[in-house]
Amino acid sequence: MALKRNNVRVSGQGDRAMMFAHGFGCDQHMWRDVAQGFEVDFKVILFDHVGAGGSDLAAYDSTKYGSLGGYADDVIEIARELDLRDAIFVGHSVSAMIGALAVLKAPDLFSDLVMVGPSPRYIDDGDYVGGFTSGQVGELLQFLADNHLGWSAAMAPAIMGNADRPELGEKLTESFCATDPKIAAEFARVTFFSDNRADLSRVEARTLVLQCRDDIIAPQCVGEWVHAQLPNSEYVLLDATGHCPNLSAPAEVTAAIRAFV
Amino acid sequence: MPLSDLPVEDLADLYENAPCGYVSIAPDGRIAKVNRTLAEWVGRAEEDLVASPFNNLLSFGGKIAVETHLAPMLRLKGQVAEIALDLVGADGSKIPVIVNATEKRGDNGEHVLTRMTLFKAVDRRSYERNLLAAREAAEAETLAEHETATLREQFIAVLGHDLRNPLASLDAGVRLLDKEALSDRGRFILGGMAKSVARASQLIDNVLDLARGRLGGGLVLTRDAKEPVSPVLEQVVAEIQSIVPDRPISTIFAVDEPVYCDRQRIGQLASNLVGNAVAHGAPGSAIQVEARTEGSDFVLSVTNSGETIPPDAREKLFQPFFRGGTGRTRQGLGLGLFIVSEIAKAHDGSIEVISSDGITSFIFSMPRHRYQPATI
Repeated sequence: MALKRNNVRVSGQGDRAMMFAHGFGCDQHMWRDVAQGFEVDFKVILFDHVGAGGSDLAAYDSTKYGSLGGYADDVIEIARELDLRDAIFVGHSVSAMIGALAVLKAPDLFSDLVMVGPSPRYIDDGDYVGGFTSGQVGELLQFLADNHLGWSAAMAPAIMGNADRPELGEKLTESFCATDPKIAAEFARVTFFSDNRADLSRVEARTLVLQCRDDIIAPQCVGEWVHAQLPNSEYVLLDATGHCPNLSAPAEVTAAIRAFV
Repeated sequence: MPLSDLPVEDLADLYENAPCGYVSIAPDGRIAKVNRTLAEWVGRAEEDLVASPFNNLLSFGGKIAVETHLAPMLRLKGQVAEIALDLVGADGSKIPVIVNATEKRGDNGEHVLTRMTLFKAVDRRSYERNLLAAREAAEAETLAEHETATLREQFIAVLGHDLRNPLASLDAGVRLLDKEALSDRGRFILGGMAKSVARASQLIDNVLDLARGRLGGGLVLTRDAKEPVSPVLEQVVAEIQSIVPDRPISTIFAVDEPVYCDRQRIGQLASNLVGNAVAHGAPGSAIQVEARTEGSDFVLSVTNSGETIPPDAREKLFQPFFRGGTGRTRQGLGLGLFIVSEIAKAHDGSIEVISSDGITSFIFSMPRHRYQPATI
């Protein structure tokens, strides 16, 4: 049931499973270029959070998904249905924290965590620098409201052909990076008002923190803070810039994850 | 006009002074080239903009949106179109724009540049925001109305339910008194009280059924064909006859085959139809109740004489709270026929009304058998 709800795709060969979780704003296609590199020797698991991509929109429940814990419960359900044990969880952006919550709730499922651009709290708080003020989150919500029609259109199954990357046209017959506008607004709220700083020190799993340069969503100081809080972590500062190295620098991300696992 | 007479377009000038903004962005997010139009919109010199991050031209929310939404879509699709963004000018003012963007890629598919075309869209964006606000207001209003309606129906359901208990006591009291020795006047008054109790009880049943239907529960049927349906109909007619002994009610019941139905509900349907005929038929006039099987259908009809129902009223008869007629006949909540049609629907049946030349018939028909899906 969770497998259908979260549009779970399993590929690759290998005894060990690696589960990739997308962040706010996109869907499992975000991991395409990185996940491919692990299909030779890992069981690769991709999925969409409820509300994104090919997930079951009818399964969305404002109460359940009113906190990141609801999303973590979905991760646990998927892992249980696939009978995972000591697997690797790779979470981008807000899903890094969703992964941390999942291992705290069900420590047997994942032995290793990879956090790409994590942030336990986006909004500044006293000495803690998250990089955001709460008013700025409002501007993001305004953007989502203004682009309501655009995102609805993106839900349409037809995707325009892509002359210079024909493989895209074939692969992405369904929509991608499609998000239900109402759910996107709620996910934005949950994400950018989340505070999971206190949870980090309890995460016992081996963790790799991958940090980009010039990332306005998860600035360098936040990545370093996460690394300092985690009891058992490694920290790698990538050359990649921006918030989505899984798309802008897939080779570098793949190499860093490989070196860790 | 020969081609040679056409003015020559200056492509460099077209780029710089185009009626739209152009900007080319390097993979690391810095501006590689920008046209004069865009530079003027944001109130900065072109040479100051080149090599500075494009993100600096956006509001913070816009920056997050570009990082979380636009950049991934551009990388995956190679292009995005009609995205609404706000630019921030040197003086802090916001410039609403619509953005189209494509990724220019190298021979090996590597990202070389992101090319963006920006269109100023001040009026269009404010129009869209007004539309959005209007829609949100309408949605909120609908939601509020819906909540009020639900609350009202819940109130009706609770009230109706709570009224049943005192009414049951009244009914028991009337029955006990009926066994006592009473004067003629006492017996007459008691008869009137019995009618009123029966009428009140029927009204409450109808109100509860309406509330249940509206609250999403719908009519729940207990259907089977284990027992004949005629005795239930006979009992309904006998009850009404006892309330109006002076009205001639004739019956023809010819239902020999089993009928797959909820007999209690069919009884309620018959009771509402006969009660309706008593209330709306000409005073003292006869009422015919007929039940029979016709092929695979069960058909029940109730006929009375009285005023013809005008065609426009016929369409509204089965709507809740519709009350036809005037004066004497204007009574009750107007739920009886609504409940009849709900019971008919729940049995996959239909109810129709024929009214002409002073004769009115309500005809209910339903399939006698349980629905069997066709086999291939």
